[in-house]
Amino acid sequence: MTKEERLKKRHSAEKRFRFYGLASIFVALLFVLILVHNIFSKGSSAFMKTAINVEVFFDQELLEIKNGATEDQILEADFYDITIESLLKVFPAQDLDQENQLIDLFTTDAEIEIKRAFLKNNNLIGKKINLEITASDDIDQLHKGNYPRDLPEDRRRISDFQLIIYDNLVENKKIIKNFNNYFFKNGDSRDPELAGIGGALIGSFYSIIICLLLAFPVAVLASIYLEEFAPKNKITDFIEININNLAAVPSIVYGLLALQILLATIQLPRSTPLVAGITLALMTLPRIIIPCRASLKAVPPSIREGALAVGASKFQSVFHHVVPLALPGTLSGTIIGLAQALGETAPLILIGMVAFVVDIPSTPIDPSSSLPVQVYLWSESAERGFVEKTSATIMMLLSFLIVMNFLAVYLRQKFEKRWN
Amino acid sequence: MNNVKIKSKNLNVYYGEKQALFDVNLDLNEKEVTALIGPSGCGKSTFIRCINRMNDVIDICKVSGNIEIDGVEINDKNLDVVSLRERVGMVFQKPNPFPKSIYDNISYGPKIHGKGETKSELDEIVENSLKKAALWEEVKDRLDEPGTGLSGGQQQRLCIARAISVNPEVILMDEPCSALDPIATAKIEELIDELKKTYTIVIVTHSMAQAVRVSQKTGFFHLGKLIEVGKTEKIFKNPDNKMTQDYITGRFG
Repeated sequence: MTKEERLKKRHSAEKRFRFYGLASIFVALLFVLILVHNIFSKGSSAFMKTAINVEVFFDQELLEIKNGATEDQILEADFYDITIESLLKVFPAQDLDQENQLIDLFTTDAEIEIKRAFLKNNNLIGKKINLEITASDDIDQLHKGNYPRDLPEDRRRISDFQLIIYDNLVENKKIIKNFNNYFFKNGDSRDPELAGIGGALIGSFYSIIICLLLAFPVAVLASIYLEEFAPKNKITDFIEININNLAAVPSIVYGLLALQILLATIQLPRSTPLVAGITLALMTLPRIIIPCRASLKAVPPSIREGALAVGASKFQSVFHHVVPLALPGTLSGTIIGLAQALGETAPLILIGMVAFVVDIPSTPIDPSSSLPVQVYLWSESAERGFVEKTSATIMMLLSFLIVMNFLAVYLRQKFEKRWN
Repeated sequence: MNNVKIKSKNLNVYYGEKQALFDVNLDLNEKEVTALIGPSGCGKSTFIRCINRMNDVIDICKVSGNIEIDGVEINDKNLDVVSLRERVGMVFQKPNPFPKSIYDNISYGPKIHGKGETKSELDEIVENSLKKAALWEEVKDRLDEPGTGLSGGQQQRLCIARAISVNPEVILMDEPCSALDPIATAKIEELIDELKKTYTIVIVTHSMAQAVRVSQKTGFFHLGKLIEVGKTEKIFKNPDNKMTQDYITGRFG
């Protein structure tokens, strides 16, 4: 082979390698794109909800309370008759069956929405107002274009009569879309139009805070001790191997552990963020210790020697010099560990967070859901309305993860740049 | 001839199974520069790291024998290494300023030893140390800038200033100029000449010329043994030992 040929071969090998690299990056990006597109196209509609404009007349004859009623009185009062009256006025129904079909266009919470309007202004008796009453999930899906209306009637959940009403409402511009505050405010519900991630958000928040408070100090102290103070012998080697093994233990095993120890033996309340936080902390602990030790190890030994040489004690050299330098790496490791914990589902299912919880938890010892478990729960539900809710919850979860990971990168860069 | 400041008797050092120093008996004089020369891995650095007990950091390192400073045994388990290192400062081969400001680099030592209670006392210590290390004029306007931003030679003088800041009696220098260019080296050598008026200095060097220029006494190490020690002039002009002769004339090493 001549020199030119060899040179040519070398260049083409390099070109080939570049092409393979670019191709793999392209494929990886393509998958991410498909995933994101899939989630967004399914989930983005969940942030809007469909409502129907209804004229409500607060008829004194149908209500047992008067203008200026106190909050307690209003909450106790029956708004059922007024609700039915108002809803029936939306479209002329011929018989009881048609009336029922008409009422089914609205959410089961229509009465509560009317009551809420009265709570805001308790002088409405004898007056007419226009209210935007949330539509049922079927109408919501139909209006968002997710409902196959060309199926034969017996295979549809929406009857022909309901379709006629819907078309009439669209024609009269009585059907509208507004921001879906229920999605953020409400807890879980059997009715998709009322279901929200409020409870799951709070539950996840409490769990992560508890996880952070338990795992961070233990992990940092353990890594500082192991890296800086512990003698290097068989026992510490054994501990090191075990930490690495623990980080690789499937998370469901931690769930089983928590089930046996925290719930069965210690009898902590099940389905609560407290138990979730402890379980996640156990799981996250080795995952924080590993990057934390790595960042301590990355501090050059010359810094330790420099400090010792001017007469700093071991403790001073570690806490005045090594730890501050390792802090950015430690923090970003912690945040990434927490991000993993935030997305963890399996152990939470085992400790009972999969229960159907409607109430929003006010303390960490109230039963609660969490974001990933909510995704799991809704993805199993049959109703069409939960499909977009599932994707929207994934969007929320992903955006939290992205924010956390950016924070990790930002912290690392900001503090490392300072002196170099 | 000055008084003996540091005296080592039958000093043996082991790294695990490997013996690094064999029965080293060496006297170092007060307010004098002693140079330690010898090929790589001959135990020069190991020897000076015994003087401030820096070898304690290495788990597998075992030291036996005696080292006395002013007649007091320092190779003693009950000795407080913190106060020993306050008396015996060290400058390393590679400049290792803390990644903090120039000011904090100098003031750290005095602070942890409770010297310089007030800000003005600390300011004074910082200024004096930097002046002694011939760095003051170059950095006086940027004391709050990071020490790692200085040039290599400046960083090494910063490390010398850091060692001086706790007012030690002895300064150990482990090849302080090996990472520096000739101009920076010249400055450090000038500085060593000045510092020997106040401090006892031990310098490990690979440069024969440097040993001749800065030291009054020279020790030649080979394979962990102290082969020959004596006045620098004598060692370089008329050594007793054939091996010393071979080494300084560049026949091996």
